[in-house]
Amino acid sequence: MTRPPQQNMETILTINGLSKRYGKIQAVRNLEVGIGRGAVFGILGPNGSGKSTTLGMVLDLVTPDSGSFEWFGQKPSKESRKRIGAVIETPNFYPYLSAEMNLRIVADIKGYGHDDIDRVLETVSLSERRHSKFKTFSFGMRQRLAVASAMLGNPEVLILDEPTNGLDPQGIAQMREIILKVAAEGITIILASHLLDEVQKICSHVVVLSKGKKLFSGPVDKVLAVSDCIEVAAADRTRLAEVIAAHPKFKSMTTTDEICLAYFTSDVRPADINTFMHEKGIVLSHLAERKRSLEQHFLALLQENQ
Amino acid sequence: MNRLLKIELKKILTYKTFWIVIGLYFLFLALGIMLAEFMINSMVADINKRFPIPFPKAVLYTFPDIWQNITFFASIRFVLIFPAILVIILITNEFANKTIRQNIINGMSKAEFLVSKLLVIVMMSLAVTIIIAGVVFFLGITHTDMQGFAVVFRKMVFIPGFFVQMLTILCYAFFFGFLIRNTGLAIALFTLYTIIIEPIIYFLLKAPFMFENKIYTYLPVNSVIRIAEYPAIPKLMGVLNFQAQSTVSLVAVLVPLGYSAIMLGIVYWIVKRKDL
Repeated sequence: MTRPPQQNMETILTINGLSKRYGKIQAVRNLEVGIGRGAVFGILGPNGSGKSTTLGMVLDLVTPDSGSFEWFGQKPSKESRKRIGAVIETPNFYPYLSAEMNLRIVADIKGYGHDDIDRVLETVSLSERRHSKFKTFSFGMRQRLAVASAMLGNPEVLILDEPTNGLDPQGIAQMREIILKVAAEGITIILASHLLDEVQKICSHVVVLSKGKKLFSGPVDKVLAVSDCIEVAAADRTRLAEVIAAHPKFKSMTTTDEICLAYFTSDVRPADINTFMHEKGIVLSHLAERKRSLEQHFLALLQENQ
Repeated sequence: MNRLLKIELKKILTYKTFWIVIGLYFLFLALGIMLAEFMINSMVADINKRFPIPFPKAVLYTFPDIWQNITFFASIRFVLIFPAILVIILITNEFANKTIRQNIINGMSKAEFLVSKLLVIVMMSLAVTIIIAGVVFFLGITHTDMQGFAVVFRKMVFIPGFFVQMLTILCYAFFFGFLIRNTGLAIALFTLYTIIIEPIIYFLLKAPFMFENKIYTYLPVNSVIRIAEYPAIPKLMGVLNFQAQSTVSLVAVLVPLGYSAIMLGIVYWIVKRKDL
């Protein structure tokens, strides 16, 4: 799925060189990230790559060893946190209180009135269970209540840490639908996940972490559209190989019986290749772009780093 | 302040355990008083059978001594431990349910969180003190004959004294809760210290060679208990020639308040720095 590029470049969260060590393990290493308003920003990485620690630090739960961060261009404070909604790891509520009572406490902490509770419960389809105690909720309902609580008072940013973890397929679908609904309202979303597929489906931007280090960051579309591999075929295979090797961005190629797979150093569009070949007098019988999936890209990035 | 109190009340008022433990406190208090009265009077009856000089029957519920007597029973270790355990539960629950993290995420500062729990402690101490004062007043009125009314309020100082006792023991519980974070462990260690470890230290320090300096009276929990150290049963004590405590001394109040202040400081220092 493609999403519109960031509307404006106002930075909502700036992370400057954050580091956190737990004993021998460097959980986050000198992390630099900027997140623009309106983005659906994915933090992608395998388990233990420092995603939750990073979110913990920007939410003032974890004290960084060094580095700093800014919310909305200001030093972080409890006031900036009131403009953020966050669901971290597990839904955290008072088990003996009803859904509604739990949300009232959240609203009180944020300093908002209680009149927004109906709306958020409606958004996550929990209106009918509003008077049930939290402990009677299924896991999926708990997760949805957490999203509802994060959305109280229309936050400017919604932070979700592994929002589909532990949900059944139906729950996952519901959760994704909710996230996309929220994103459509223009709320900036920061989503940590180890599922590439999830990030691919939901996010506009991504930062890839491994062992606490940033490997890559940028718009997902760009990562996905790294068409650095193009399939071509022509009647004269020898000539084709010669010409394509002369392309300024050419990197390498492999040939099979029918087609030639050409790799380029950077973004190359099929149309450009077609024009280029045509100018050299070659008529292509086959031309196709091979998009590397985020997964391949991710694995490649991880491999390059080892 | 008002906002924090409103939040805490929402957390507490529908929490069943809260009411059960508070109920147990008053139940054990009532049972303790009745048992003590029964024991004293059966002892007196026993002595009276053997000696010709009659011992007077103990009267616990007359003004002005009732202020001292009821607050004495309301502040013995085994009774005082119930509200303390309740505070430990209320604090460690926030860690177990990870709701402390969520409270911070939602926009509370760590300092505000600590203040909100302190408010709970102050309110609980105030509420229990008011109830005790009410009960004392009612019992006193129904047990005192007319001449006694001139001295109704003479020993009322034991009521603010009791407030300090409740407040400080709950501060100790606050300290255990925030430092240990685990419900079972915090309750176990607090109970172990209050009921077993400190009494052992107390008796070791009270050994004859240490008797002069009275350090043992400055042990944290003991200093709380000592605010109302003995019940007052003047007629009986007069016969036994025992000089009973008759008021609450300022020093006795300042010692546990000092401990509490130090503990609150330590908790603030640690919670400010430690990850949640």
